Amino acid sequence: MIVQGEYTFPGTREAIWELLLDPAVIARTMPGTEEMVRVAPDRYEGRMRVGVGAITAAEFTVSVQLADVVPPERYTMQIDGRGRFGFTRGTAQVRLAADGAGTVMRFEADLQVGGKIAAVGQRLLDSVSKLMTRQGLESLSKEVNRRLASADPGSRSPNPGPLP
Amino acid sequence: MTARWLGERVPRLEDTKLLTGRALFTDDVDLPGMLHAAFLRSDDAHGVLRSVDVEAARRRPGVVAVWTAADLGEYWKPGPALVPPPPIAGLVFNSATQVPLAREKVRHVGEPLALVVAVSRYVAEDALDDIVVDVEPLPAVTDLEAALAPGAPLVHEALGGNVAARARQSKGDYAAARGRAHKVIARRFRYDRGAAAAIENRGVVAAWDAKTEELTVWDTTQAPIPIRNGLAAMLGLGESQVRVVAPFIGGGFGPKIMMFYPEEVLIPWAAMRLGRPVKWIEDRQENFYATTQERLQIHDAELAVAKDGTILGVKDRFLFDTGAYDPYGLTIPINSQCTLLGPYAVPNYDSEFTAVFTNRPIVTPVRGAGRQHGVFVMERLLDLAAKELGMDRVAIRRRNFLPPDAFPHDHEILFQDFAPLTYDSGDYGPAMDRAVDAIGYERFLREEQPALRRAGRHVGLGIVSYIEGTGIGPYEGARVTIEPSGSVRVATGVGTQGQGHFTTFAQLVSDVLGMDPSKVQVITGDTREFGWGTGTFASRGAVVAGNAVHEAAIRVRKKVLKLASEVLGVDAGELFLECGSVHVKGAPERSLRLGDLARKANPLRGGVAPGTEPGLEATAYFGPERGNAANGVHAMIVEVDRETCEVRIRRYVVVHDCGTVINPTVVEGQVQGGVAMGIGNAFYEQLVWDENGQLMNASFMDYLLPTALDVPAVEMRHTVTPSPLNPLGAKGVGEAGAIPAAAAFAQAVEDALEGEIEVLEIPLSPNRLFDLLGSRSRP
Repeated sequence: MIVQGEYTFPGTREAIWELLLDPAVIARTMPGTEEMVRVAPDRYEGRMRVGVGAITAAEFTVSVQLADVVPPERYTMQIDGRGRFGFTRGTAQVRLAADGAGTVMRFEADLQVGGKIAAVGQRLLDSVSKLMTRQGLESLSKEVNRRLASADPGSRSPNPGPLP
Repeated sequence: MTARWLGERVPRLEDTKLLTGRALFTDDVDLPGMLHAAFLRSDDAHGVLRSVDVEAARRRPGVVAVWTAADLGEYWKPGPALVPPPPIAGLVFNSATQVPLAREKVRHVGEPLALVVAVSRYVAEDALDDIVVDVEPLPAVTDLEAALAPGAPLVHEALGGNVAARARQSKGDYAAARGRAHKVIARRFRYDRGAAAAIENRGVVAAWDAKTEELTVWDTTQAPIPIRNGLAAMLGLGESQVRVVAPFIGGGFGPKIMMFYPEEVLIPWAAMRLGRPVKWIEDRQENFYATTQERLQIHDAELAVAKDGTILGVKDRFLFDTGAYDPYGLTIPINSQCTLLGPYAVPNYDSEFTAVFTNRPIVTPVRGAGRQHGVFVMERLLDLAAKELGMDRVAIRRRNFLPPDAFPHDHEILFQDFAPLTYDSGDYGPAMDRAVDAIGYERFLREEQPALRRAGRHVGLGIVSYIEGTGIGPYEGARVTIEPSGSVRVATGVGTQGQGHFTTFAQLVSDVLGMDPSKVQVITGDTREFGWGTGTFASRGAVVAGNAVHEAAIRVRKKVLKLASEVLGVDAGELFLECGSVHVKGAPERSLRLGDLARKANPLRGGVAPGTEPGLEATAYFGPERGNAANGVHAMIVEVDRETCEVRIRRYVVVHDCGTVINPTVVEGQVQGGVAMGIGNAFYEQLVWDENGQLMNASFMDYLLPTALDVPAVEMRHTVTPSPLNPLGAKGVGEAGAIPAAAAFAQAVEDALEGEIEVLEIPLSPNRLFDLLGSRSRP
């Protein structure tokens, strides 16, 4: 399964970079994330709960290993999620590019889904992953706006870019 | 002996029990102290199994035991190779059989990794969550051609390649025939996987009685006797210490003759170790990958024909997906190879198949067992040839039918029973005549179809012939006993999965012993009742077990006549059996009830002549020298909605020749059910895998079975060409409905679309049909 897109955030690459790699922000913004801990500078571990069709709450233990980290430009994630209802694993690449006052994030994930979640949730996987991506990006964008607002109480955050 | 019941539409005697909920199924078995099992199964299709940590599962309250492969010790052994390869020159066969629990590697999704036994299934399934599995994923082998390429990942490293088998069978000189041909039709055909989808999933219940030292196993198997024999050997018990009961079973269709499933090996073992009964019932999800499946084959085939449509020869090269293991040997591809020849004279034939290991669940026969692939390829080639030659499709078939005087006809290759593929009997022209007549072939093509086409409707007709090799050996047996009550008991070793055995076997006895079939009690599939035999497969119950039942009844009749003539003081020739009594001809009031005679046959005091056997009981066995050839024609009319690509079947005609018909209702039920399965195969059912070996539609939400609305009532006709290979003249019918349906469907859809597309693959679906049409008709 390929998940890809791009999204324009307000704020500088450095600010976005910091947000994207902050485990507390990930836990707040990534839908279904129940816990996310940075166990090493380049490694995160946590738990997620995801619903796909007939499987209403599949719990996964998730580990994310970072590689090819070039701040504030790009990084690669090795994702490994597993649980009773199957597994998700693969790689995701994230690139940040300055775009005026904002930052464009381009992402591409190549994920393998296996087990029950693939077997009975297949026809919904695509829409669920799109939904989760959209929700994640929207919450992240709100987070950015919130931070910008608190950093500069007088400024108004620009309108975020179009959805992927 | 008058044939009063043979051929009669006796209502199915088992249906009262089945319809009132009084039939015992495996899941009905409920024993005091019984524990429940659940299996942890691999989510990965291919990988190195690094560890299976079951410590937390063992600590869960209510869990009694958890085992992995490492805990099985000496008991861990790969299963037996069930069917040895036939003696074909140059044959390659690499055996790799399934294991009770995976060790070191996992080779398909659903392969069992651990067994949990707990006080309830709920607790057992919760404990599965506690198990931590570490698998290092390997690239999966899913594409048959890529699997054979150098450098492909290997399902079984020790074999050095993914070839499970290769066999070539040929006759005549195809190359020379091709040189003489007016046309050569060559195409690639693909026939994909489906599930057998029996309404009852598998299940095993085992109980060990330490006092009697007896193991009882209830198992949804089609082969209770081989299961008993195998379990006894594995568990170090005598065969008489193991009783396997295959009670009523909600559909077999082939996967239930596979043995030994890991669950069959482990549940009895667990029951013995724990000293408590253990039950495991497969759920539908498990069934999608833990029960065997069938059907992916890719054929590159060509047909060489003369100008008048005479077949000069056929060449076929095909790949067969055997899944991760090949316990069932070559039965399926050899069936495909043989069945392709159909009812036709094919003077030159060159067929070679390669069986390929893949990271998908194990493939074993499913109703038809490869026969449909042969029929599909041959019938499609004939359709294409007819088109190229401007011939009528019925005419090209008639041109090539073996004539009635061609029997026995030796095809010069070997069949799945290792015997030469020799058709015992047949008469194909009349079957085609009846089908043409019943479907209204001429009128449809001349009047109805043109009229409907003018009205903008897309209707088409399909009509195909087929042979079904049935009734193979080695043997089955039966014991017939007249009880003092006057009722008759028939015990046979074959298991029953809905075929109507309780009725047809009773009918075979009724005529011989002069009694109503309802007075005959049939017992099947209980090794304590009958311990010799092989099982229910290859459409052989009526042929092989049926003849044994019939012969045993004849032997009992002889005993009845002998004893009655002594008691009544008349010559045996002066006696006849009717209504459960022996009567004297000309003086029918002088009679003896069979029950009373049975009592006299078991004297409690006094002397008997040396050599006297007690009771009115006899056992007989029957084994044919080789299988016989049933045949038939399927014809259907379909309508295709050009916009939605939905296909409705308007009419479905089957003309079938299964030799002597014991009970037309039972035969027609078998055919109707087979057609339903064939229609599912043709247009609805497909197991879809991704490139990582993940099954993507493992539920009935996404795996579509045809419903009652999709399956028409089949209009049935019979022709009767008795088999000379057995006294009853019977041939099998269990798979006949399923075998040619896809070929007829393909032809009909093609016809409905006026040749806009060629249908070279099965299953179709509305989506697939839409894609095929789209790729052709959108400029």
